[in-house]
Amino acid sequence: MLHRGDRVEIFRKSDDESWQNYMDEFVGAHGIITDPDTSINDSDALVEVSLVDKGTHRLPQDCIRKLED
Amino acid sequence: MSEISCPVSKTIAELDAMIASNRIKTPKSRRIAEEIRVLMEDVAWGRAGKDHLSAMAKLSQELVKESDTPSCATMGNMIGAALTDHSESFQSHVNTHNCPTGECVNLAPAPCQMACPAGIDIPTYVTLIGMGRYDEAIEVIRKDNPFPWVCGLVCTRPCEFMCVRARIDTPVSIKFLKAYAAEQAMSEGQYRNPPQAPPNGKKVCIVGAGPAGMTAAYYLALKGYGVRVIEQLPMAGGMLMVGIPRYRLPREVIDREVDMIRELGVEFEFNTRFGWRVHINQLRKEGFEAFLFTIGAHKCSPMRVPGENDFAEVFTAVSFLREVALGDREKPGDKVLIIGGGNVAIDSARTCIRLGCKEVVLAYRRTRAEMPADEEEIEQAEEEGVQMNFLTIPVEIVGEEYSMTKMHCVRAELVAREGSTRMSPVPIFGSDFYIEIDAIIVAVGQRIDHTIMSDLPDLDWTRRNTINVNRATMETSLEGVFAAGDDVLGPATVIEAIAGGKKAASAIDRYLHGLPQRQLPPVPVRRSRTEFLKVPASTKMSLKRPEMPLLNYNRRRVTFQQVELGYEENAVREEARRCLRCDICRRCGDCVAVCRDRMGIDALHLGYLDFDHPVKSDFRNVAEKCIACGACAENCKNNAMQIHDEGDERILSLCGIVLNRQKLVFCESCGAVLGPAKYLDYIDKRISQQTTAQNTNRYLCLNCSRKQTAQQHDEQVVPLF
Ligand SMILES: Cc1cc2nc3c(=O)[nH]c(=O)nc-3n(C[C@H](O)[C@H](O)[C@H](O)COP(=O)(O)OP(=O)(O)OC[C@H]3O[C@@H](n4cnc5c(N)ncnc54)[C@H](O)[C@@H]3O)c2cc1C
Repeated sequence: MLHRGDRVEIFRKSDDESWQNYMDEFVGAHGIITDPDTSINDSDALVEVSLVDKGTHRLPQDCIRKLED
Repeated sequence: MSEISCPVSKTIAELDAMIASNRIKTPKSRRIAEEIRVLMEDVAWGRAGKDHLSAMAKLSQELVKESDTPSCATMGNMIGAALTDHSESFQSHVNTHNCPTGECVNLAPAPCQMACPAGIDIPTYVTLIGMGRYDEAIEVIRKDNPFPWVCGLVCTRPCEFMCVRARIDTPVSIKFLKAYAAEQAMSEGQYRNPPQAPPNGKKVCIVGAGPAGMTAAYYLALKGYGVRVIEQLPMAGGMLMVGIPRYRLPREVIDREVDMIRELGVEFEFNTRFGWRVHINQLRKEGFEAFLFTIGAHKCSPMRVPGENDFAEVFTAVSFLREVALGDREKPGDKVLIIGGGNVAIDSARTCIRLGCKEVVLAYRRTRAEMPADEEEIEQAEEEGVQMNFLTIPVEIVGEEYSMTKMHCVRAELVAREGSTRMSPVPIFGSDFYIEIDAIIVAVGQRIDHTIMSDLPDLDWTRRNTINVNRATMETSLEGVFAAGDDVLGPATVIEAIAGGKKAASAIDRYLHGLPQRQLPPVPVRRSRTEFLKVPASTKMSLKRPEMPLLNYNRRRVTFQQVELGYEENAVREEARRCLRCDICRRCGDCVAVCRDRMGIDALHLGYLDFDHPVKSDFRNVAEKCIACGACAENCKNNAMQIHDEGDERILSLCGIVLNRQKLVFCESCGAVLGPAKYLDYIDKRISQQTTAQNTNRYLCLNCSRKQTAQQHDEQVVPLF
């Protein structure tokens, strides 16, 4: 479950339909979860993540993994 | 700054200078020049497509043809020549998405700006706030976001999560600074719209007056479009007005910012529901050439338990909050149960407290740790008296006659399902219990109301039931139809809605002018390079993020008055001084490396430079070892690290943070500056050839030292008699 402020990595391309070609270059990027699903904790919801040098995007959760502190 | 060698950056700089010089007179020529500027920037940022270069070439020819003044022709020719002479470089920007010289990247925005979905130039406006130039700060913000005041109160502030200052202590309080500046500028009558382009004769229709729709309306109106906004409610604001409660966002704040948009001639048609009395064909006949749908996500997801549709006292959170916002202050009941653990559930619960409900209980399936609502919001709700029932699953709403009496619930435990690390709530057999209530508010998510769009049967939807768009341009599957905000993202945030509205406005403008669309989402634009605020290292470290003063509990429980009372001016100015100006210091670490590896001094311990492994940073420690040699400043590509002499001192500063001040030593003979003593000692130790005439214990410059040596030599020569 992702929370605001979690440090994450985009570890792979997503299989989700919301993944767009330009997102391929996000793979490997690190960032911070800035707006998880704030209503029902749905694992299928798109979450907002701010990536270092790549801006803030809503991405599917299957391509995101938490980084250990 | 050094000479620009990238032809793209250079052309942009020349173009900017010409546009700023006001030598292009007619609106048409200005428009063409600005269109070229937009396309050129796409090229610089690696987001241009295959048609960009030809489109620019065509526009530059048009500019030559238009040539209302000699400058116009010059500009057209200059751009044409740059495109031909440096076609390889331009192509490389387009094809490889990067600038071979790295100069275009030197304009890279700070992490906070990159993190802002709307791309606001945060370091610039924070610095302006630190200088007390609030109206200019608002001007900068509104280049990217027409709602600085609203966002200053309710933004989810992704910028603060990426704020580099947080790697030292706590993030700069960016959101509240913005609110302060907006309030000040508004109250002093200094909150103004920028100049508007003359009408271009084209009309755009926007459906939905939420932040996404109004943002698009603002940017389109500024470009000279005739804009009509159709809204089903009697007022503008969308969820700002009828979702977010007044104790977080006063109505006047929304009204004043909407008024600024209305001032640009945007026409609002209230109490008009698209798809009922107004249809797309009718609007096309009226001359609207492009449409933007920003209808939000206003339909509540059901709980799916028996009894949900049987009692009048079951409310959905969205409709409950809307009725309260529209003026209905009747409490839903004395004992109210809120179902859900998100922000909307918390807003509903806190609203019930203010309406006078005696018992407000929030039931959530998981534990507090999994609650999706913001921690601060949960805390404030608890302070106000909202009770939390965790690990509670609703089973059935039970009632007598037509009135509900209780909620049948069951306790849950969290269990990891096979193949998943996620803990899911599972009912505990036999743990049933009842909560006595007389009203329920269901807050388990929102969806988009599909029926609104039945006028457009060919519109493409995603499997999440959101409108399918190209996220770089907000184009839907239908020609001339765009969408932005919650209807594209699902329930999201105000700042994302604003970002979507801005992107859509830019794409609509390109569409109506036949320009190629960008291939990638826009990268934020740096608005200026504002001078630094000068702050001593000790002050920079000791300043603390101020606490937000809150309304007292009693008043919070009985009124809808704003809970967050805002900062005082002094706190605002001090807080702005904590900003590290990451728009200028790009944290490349060259200064640290030069000082450590080349000079062997290792005075700079700037642990915050690394995102993944930040270690301790303390600006105050620099002075301990620093010899003020200036090697770091010399190697700083962006002029963030600076060294200069002031009176009898040499000062080293990083983005205005005074890291070291050392007394200068002057040549005792001619008075020329020699440098600080520490530096001179260092040189003495490093080189055999001494700059100072140590044998005489006097500080002399090289020239005077030579003269002295020569004189001594002369004196030693045996005189000729
Ligand atoms: C209770 C609550 C609290 C929130 N708190 C925050 C917060 O603190 N911070 C934050 O960032 N976000 C918050 N949000 C989310 C935020 O409000 C939304 O993400 C944002 O308002 C979406 O903007 P929008 O323009 O896409 O849609 P909306 O704001 O929903 O606006 C859509 C507009 O379209 C109109 N409309 C719909 N259908 C039609 C039609 N057929 N014809 C004409 N008009 C129509 C609606 O009446 C509405 O005015 C909150 C949301 C809720 C519900």
